[in-house]
Amino acid sequence: MEATTLGAWMATGLTLFIFSFLYKDNPLFKLAEHLYVGVSVGYTIVKTWDSVIVHLIYRPIVDQGEIGLLIPVAIGLLMLTRYVPKAAWMSRYAFAFIVGLGSGLAIPRTISSFILKQVEDTVRPLLSMAGGEGLTFSMNLLNPASNLNAIIILIGVSSVLFYFFFSIEHSGPGKVVARTGIIFLMIAFGAAFGYTVMARMSLLIGRLTDLIEFSDASYGRPTLWLFILTVVALVLLGRRASSAPSQLE
Amino acid sequence: MTFSERMLKIDRRIIFLVIGLCTLLPLLYPVGLPIKISPEVRSIYDYMEALPERSVFLLSIDFDPASKPELHPQAIALLRHAFRKNLRVVAMTLWVSGTGMADQLLTQVAQEMGKENGKDYVFLGWSPGGTAVIINMGQDLYTAFPSDYSGKATKGIPVLEGVQSLKDIAYAISLGAGNPGIEAWYVFGKDKYKFELGGGCTGVIAPGLYPLLRSGQINGLIGGLRGAAEYESLVGQKGRAVAGMDAQSATHFAIIVLVAMCNLFYFSLRHQQGQRQV
Repeated sequence: MEATTLGAWMATGLTLFIFSFLYKDNPLFKLAEHLYVGVSVGYTIVKTWDSVIVHLIYRPIVDQGEIGLLIPVAIGLLMLTRYVPKAAWMSRYAFAFIVGLGSGLAIPRTISSFILKQVEDTVRPLLSMAGGEGLTFSMNLLNPASNLNAIIILIGVSSVLFYFFFSIEHSGPGKVVARTGIIFLMIAFGAAFGYTVMARMSLLIGRLTDLIEFSDASYGRPTLWLFILTVVALVLLGRRASSAPSQLE
Repeated sequence: MTFSERMLKIDRRIIFLVIGLCTLLPLLYPVGLPIKISPEVRSIYDYMEALPERSVFLLSIDFDPASKPELHPQAIALLRHAFRKNLRVVAMTLWVSGTGMADQLLTQVAQEMGKENGKDYVFLGWSPGGTAVIINMGQDLYTAFPSDYSGKATKGIPVLEGVQSLKDIAYAISLGAGNPGIEAWYVFGKDKYKFELGGGCTGVIAPGLYPLLRSGQINGLIGGLRGAAEYESLVGQKGRAVAGMDAQSATHFAIIVLVAMCNLFYFSLRHQQGQRQV
C-alpha cells in the first residue's frame, strides 16, 4: 500500500472516529483523541530534539568549537534542578534570567505597539482639513478613516471605559453612558462569536472536503468502508453497553 | 408538552445532522455563489503585485495542522502569487508542530510553479525562542537560522543574496493561528525593524486583529476561509477555499435560521407560561 493511500485511510478513520463523538462518547473517539495527543507530543519532542539539541547545540559545539554556547546550555540545565528538591533553588537563577530578559524585551515593545499606537489611532480629528474646502466632515461608514467612524470609536472607547469604572454609581447620565458601553461590548462579542462560528464551520468544511476526496476509488474508498465500520462498531458497542447493566442485575 | 417545549428540547444530534447536511450538500453540488473582495484582502494583493521582481518576500507559516483548513489555502494562494511574480520566497515557521506541514506545502507549490530550492525559495524551518527568533532575525538572520530545514548552511544560498536581516525584507506576511503570530511579528518585527507587514489568520482571532489593521500596523488582513477564497479569486486560481464558500454560506444560513427559531420558541413558551399564571 502506498504511503498516500495509507495516509488517506488513517486520516479518514481518525476523522470518522472523532466525529462519532457527536452521536455519543465511545471508545473509538477515545482512541483517536489519545492518538492525537500522543502523536502531537511525540512529533514536538522529535522536532525539538533535532532542531535544538542536534542542530543548534551539539553540532556547533562539537563540529565548530563554539564553546560560548555552553553558557545558555548551562542556564537551561539549571531549570532541570526543579526535579531535585535539594538543588531546586538553583533553577531560580534560570527563571530570573528568563523573566528578566523576557520582560525587558516585551514591556517597551508592547507599550509602544498596543497602547501608544492604539491611543494614537483612537484620538483622531473629528473634522478634517481638505485642500481649499476648509473643514470637512466625511460621513462614509464604510471608510474606516471617516470622521463619522472616528466619532463612533471615540464614543465606544469612552463608554466602555466608563462601564468598567466602578468607583461611581452608574445612575442618571452615568447609566446612559454605561448602557452605551454595554451595547458596544455586545456588538464586539457578537462579531467575535460570528467569526468563531465561521472558523469552526471552516474546520468542518476542511474535514468533509477530505472525506469527499478520500471516497474516490483511487484510494480504495476509505470513506465508505470506514463509515460502515464506524457505524457497525457504534451499534455493537451500544448493544454491549445496554446488555451490561442487565447482566449485573 | 407544547410544540415550543418539544422544539426547545429537541435532540442536539438532529441539529448536528442539519449542519452536517448543510455543509456536505453544497460541497457535493456547488452553486458558485459570488465572492466579494474586501479592501483588507485586496491591499495585500495590491502590495504584492507592486513588488519588483526578485524582491524578498518572507512568509511565516505560524500554524499547525489543527488550523490547516483555514490557513493552508491562504498559504497556497499567497505562494502561487509570489512565485508568479517571481519574488524570492523565504519561508519559516514559529510553530514547531507545523514544521513538516509547512515544508510539504512550500515544496508542493514550488514544484507546481517550477521553482528551484535555494535559488527561488528557501525553507528555514523552525528555531526555538518564539518572539526572540524575530528579534534575532532583525539583528542577523544567519544567527537565527544558521542552516535551512534540510540542514544546508544559509550563508551563501543564492535566494538570500543581499539579505542580512529583516531590514532587507521587502514584504512579510505572517499566517498566524495564535501566539506567536501576527501580533508578535508586528511588536518584535515591524515596529522595530521597519518593514511592511501583512497578516493572514484564522476566523477566531480575526476580530482581535482589526484594530492593528485600522491603525496601519499591518497593511492587510486575510481572515479565515473567507479571506482565503477572496485571495484565490484575486490570484485567479480557485482552490479549496472557493469550493468551501457555498458550504460556508449554507451553514451560516442554517445557523441564523436555528437561532431565530430558538428565540421564537423561547418567547412563545414564555408567553404561554405568562398566560397560564394569569
